[in-house]
Amino acid sequence: MLEYREVSPDELRKAAAAIHNGGARPLTAMFANDERGLDGGMAIYCLFADGDKAPFIGLKCRIAGEPWEYPSLAPDIPAASWYEREINDLFGIVPAGHPDLRPLVLHENWPRGLYPLRKDFDPRQPVAEAATDYPIPDVEGQGVFEVPVGPIHAGIIEPGHFRFSQAGENIINLEAKLFFTHRGIEKAVEGLPVADAFYRAERICGACTVSHALAFAQAVEGLAGAAVPARAESVRVLAAELERLYNHAGDIGNLCAGVGFAVGISHGARLKERLMRLNERVAGNRFLRGMVVPGGVAMDVTAALTQDIAGVLHELEGDLKGLLEILHENNAFLDRVNTTGILSTRAAVDLGAVGVAARASGVNADWRRDLPYSLYPKLDFKVPVYHSGDVAARLWVRADEAFQAIGLIRQVLYGLPEVGGELRVRLPELPAGASGAGWSESARGGNLHWLMTGKNSTVYRLFVRSASYPNWPAVAVAAPGNIIPDFPLVNKSFELCYACIDR
Amino acid sequence: MLYGILYAIVILAMSPLVAGIIKTAKARLQNRRGASPLQPYFDLAKLFRKGSVVSPTTSWIFRAAPYVYFAAAAAAAGMAAAGQFGSVADMLLLIYIYGLGRFFLALASLDAGSAFGGMGGSREMYISVLVEPALLLALLTVAGPAGTTSLAGMAGAAAGAPLAFSYILAAIAFFVVLIAETGRIPVDNPDTHLELTMVHEGMVLEYSGRQLGLIHWASMIKQLTVLALFVVYFIPWGVPGLPAMIGGPVFAVKVLAAALFLALAETSTNKMRLFRLPGFLAVSCLLSLLALVAQ
Repeated sequence: MLEYREVSPDELRKAAAAIHNGGARPLTAMFANDERGLDGGMAIYCLFADGDKAPFIGLKCRIAGEPWEYPSLAPDIPAASWYEREINDLFGIVPAGHPDLRPLVLHENWPRGLYPLRKDFDPRQPVAEAATDYPIPDVEGQGVFEVPVGPIHAGIIEPGHFRFSQAGENIINLEAKLFFTHRGIEKAVEGLPVADAFYRAERICGACTVSHALAFAQAVEGLAGAAVPARAESVRVLAAELERLYNHAGDIGNLCAGVGFAVGISHGARLKERLMRLNERVAGNRFLRGMVVPGGVAMDVTAALTQDIAGVLHELEGDLKGLLEILHENNAFLDRVNTTGILSTRAAVDLGAVGVAARASGVNADWRRDLPYSLYPKLDFKVPVYHSGDVAARLWVRADEAFQAIGLIRQVLYGLPEVGGELRVRLPELPAGASGAGWSESARGGNLHWLMTGKNSTVYRLFVRSASYPNWPAVAVAAPGNIIPDFPLVNKSFELCYACIDR
Repeated sequence: MLYGILYAIVILAMSPLVAGIIKTAKARLQNRRGASPLQPYFDLAKLFRKGSVVSPTTSWIFRAAPYVYFAAAAAAAGMAAAGQFGSVADMLLLIYIYGLGRFFLALASLDAGSAFGGMGGSREMYISVLVEPALLLALLTVAGPAGTTSLAGMAGAAAGAPLAFSYILAAIAFFVVLIAETGRIPVDNPDTHLELTMVHEGMVLEYSGRQLGLIHWASMIKQLTVLALFVVYFIPWGVPGLPAMIGGPVFAVKVLAAALFLALAETSTNKMRLFRLPGFLAVSCLLSLLALVAQ
């Protein structure tokens, strides 16, 4: 269970800056909660990753009544900017002094003044289509052109609108308009039994299925005070690392598509396909859905499957090494990825970037090690860190992590506790009005689920901070200074989820 | 003359097959099965049956450009074919007929006012500025010793010339230009779906249906014509003196070999950074100059 230091709105900014300490404790989540039904106010929560004594340091700021307003943290902590804009959109709580308070999540078709995450908003009521505006700043100057791209793209990818300001081929500024398919999952699960809400949380994103399931399940288990059976913990790590592996293998191949390197594209696609077929044999589906459940796991890994996995890994390890050798020795390829799309360490820290993007920019952070959960403290693995912050660094981080994941899977496979042990514990009724968090390191970085319970083990509020959320602003920072035809490559090197933020 | 017309028709008819063979070869090189080499014929047949969507903001240039581009490609094919049988076809005329087609396509790319078209058009003109002198120099290595810029005269001289070091240099120089002219990796990526990286595909993004079919076909014709010129000038051995009945198949085999080599070259590397292209094409110019000096 998490503890929060309660501060008044006037103290919030100072308290947050002191904890954040220039990025020493990154702002991991910031969200609002409509607690007018509990104690007559709105609350702003901030979670800072710590890992020294407790995983997170929590701040809670209660706003007793109108005006719904608190001082913005964004001037001190740039990472707070998106969170505050989102709270402004969904709750109508204004961060006073925010430098750029444009709409973020809600587009021009959503009526102003209608705040969907407030408790008095009924999601079953149809919302009339509005025609407000969604301002995107212009860059002006001689020879400056705007290039709008998307939200519908030529490839089969999720919707996102990018607006480049370019002079010649050089990108001067990039504005991204995302959240086109925001599903309101956080609203939809309110009032649902936790056991049902779990399946919605698991389906937030396909490529991060296990990670989201694990984060939600651990939040629930933390609130229930339940310990997960040993064998279930092993199977969970196995699933999480299989997910990391197929993501990284596929992303390395995709990166080759960004430079039109056919051999790499085919290699990567083949490796990913083989891993996804393995997933299907393990879980009955290609995305490992339904493996992790609150209280444990739903499926066991049989002896035959163990052999199957070991066999696939053995082949895959050699093939992946082969692919990386091709890339390492190909000067034409290196010329494209080196020094392209640099994210500086300063920017990564300021924006609170996570995962591969952060570790490629010299930020030594991995929740599996820093905020230990599940079996990870007992397993042996390294956290690769690169410092150049370019496309190449993100590629090599992925490559190193893929081999670490193979090592982790082997440790788990050979150390699996006896078959026949319990796989899942029954969870007791959750205490009402309690809040807790679960987290996991996905292939893209840390995913965090914050859960507050209502009566009878229902969800009062769920907040999901996906890894892609703090990393999207980093893409917009890494793009300027590059030429437009290099942007797809830069974007692919971050390889962020749209679905993860459209929760 | 009759043979010239026949050859031109063969180039027009066979160009989709060569494009298909290159695609299939690339697929095989990547361990994929790939589509049949006949796929471009099916694609063209489909496109010619479909209606076109034309943006209301476009002018007559947008509608005329596919025909001009196709006419230029077909005329160049005819010249290259007729050139072997002694006609007025001239290499400078050939280069600038391609220039005409490219000019119209670039204009049309701006016409609809879409950002991708403008980007594609500006990149195409940037590349053409680099390609034109390189192509001219590469052809001069043949025209120099021949003492004429007539395609027929050059073909004759090339066929009669002994294998010399300068020819190998010139052949490499011409092959680099060939890659750029046909819009292949590392200059352009014909298979990409990434709008922001497109050159030729970006220019034609607004086209659909029959107009798109014409443009695709014209690009294939251009590709085969340039490949044929490469074969005529740089691997001419064996054809002259033989009757056309035997010369034809031998010629076809050589064109096929050049096409397969193109597929191999394309698979073995990736697209270059846009602003590295001057260096790449400067290599071609330099090799041509060396070849000229060596002669």
